[in-house]
Amino acid sequence: MTALLPWLTLFVCIAMTAVRIPSAIRGQNRAMFFLFALLSVDILLSIREPYLAVDAALGGFNLANLLLRFMLYGTFLLLGVKTAAAFGSSAGMRAIRGPAGMAVLLLVAVLTAWIFFAMETSGSTAGLSGLPQTASLESYAALGRFYPGYVAACLLPGIWQAVRGSGPALLRLASGTLFLGFCLLLLSQGFPLVPESASWLRPAINYSAALASALGLGGIWLSKSLARRTARG
Amino acid sequence: MSLPSKAFQRWLHGVAPGVSTSDVCRISGLKRTTLAQQMVRGKVAESSLVRISRALDVNPVSALASFDAYADLRGTPVAPTDAELISQIATMDLLRAVIARNDPGAPQRFGLASAPHETSVRNWVEAIDDGELRHRVSHATGIAPQNFSAHLTANRMPPELAVATAREAGVGLAGGLIASGLVSEEEAGWPLGARRAALDRLGTGDLVTLAGERLQALGKSLHRQEHERNRTERIWENLG
Repeated sequence: MTALLPWLTLFVCIAMTAVRIPSAIRGQNRAMFFLFALLSVDILLSIREPYLAVDAALGGFNLANLLLRFMLYGTFLLLGVKTAAAFGSSAGMRAIRGPAGMAVLLLVAVLTAWIFFAMETSGSTAGLSGLPQTASLESYAALGRFYPGYVAACLLPGIWQAVRGSGPALLRLASGTLFLGFCLLLLSQGFPLVPESASWLRPAINYSAALASALGLGGIWLSKSLARRTARG
Repeated sequence: MSLPSKAFQRWLHGVAPGVSTSDVCRISGLKRTTLAQQMVRGKVAESSLVRISRALDVNPVSALASFDAYADLRGTPVAPTDAELISQIATMDLLRAVIARNDPGAPQRFGLASAPHETSVRNWVEAIDDGELRHRVSHATGIAPQNFSAHLTANRMPPELAVATAREAGVGLAGGLIASGLVSEEEAGWPLGARRAALDRLGTGDLVTLAGERLQALGKSLHRQEHERNRTERIWENLG
């Protein structure tokens, strides 16, 4: 199950990217196409085999992991901005794209890069799991979880309102799924508390969060397509 | 909130001996699987009973009354109050009446749309509420006040609750069944033209005030719907 989850998530993200190609060509909401393409690459790069291949090309000192971190920050910035606009959360929008949000992102990005280059990172290993467990590595991983968690926390109240509202049932279900994905991102902040015997929980939560978010966004797209189709008769 | 299968079968056998369940479904237009499922669960919906009794030319209210839970419906129906009758007139018909009273050139005789209308449940409860009704209903039936309100907002009311509400208000027991659309006015024993007569008895001042209140409520609900639609559109526009 845990071995299947990353590939399932990747498949869902690629499928979501594919269904958006026609509207992206028409020029409608291209940002969502890029978001899903970016998410697909994120997931791909987080899986062992593709990671090792890319990292080998980048010199074999886990630069691919830093690349993945930065792409994830970009993904969450884009996701956060679109979601805050969608759910009409002006406070959420300020917290993500306003000066405070940008300061948080900049700080996280600079610290991430700084810690990475200060660490001994030779020896390609997916998720940096083969490196010695040092305090630097812990903080590097914590930073990588922090920004997505920060964005999720900013968005949860707005999404919750839509879940509780009286919109179309499918839209509410999809919003609920997105809500669940973001809750899992918040939960992932507690990874250091997960005992070593249950270490499988970490990737399970990470990929479930990605999967739930992707499915939620897909459900929103589906509810829109169905509603438009019914309206056209 | 429904009828036991055994009692339903007994009733069906009583009113239409020798008619099979599939025949009943065919003539009433009820889906066979729906009825079968309700029978297996041991809970036949009141709406199924109503459709079947109509198909068999049995008065639906008398049919309901033959079940223990609705025994209070037996006997001669209590006449509706004027407030109840007017509560079952659609808002647009009230507005037509306002115009007719104040503009002699406007159409004076127009047909009233038959009950129920879009806010008939809430208007019925408001018409019979003495201020303490919701409290008494919640005490008698155990329904939480917010659930009772949710029914009013959704313009529906389970038949058992509708009867209980009428009982607590001390009015004819079938009024809520009309307001929730389960049975028609005629089926519940409301005299033909009773709503029109009640409307004609209503003073112009009261009529205009009532129409104004209805309009206010309509405006509120339209605002809410627009707000919700805008919210949905914004989500679709950004993420869809």
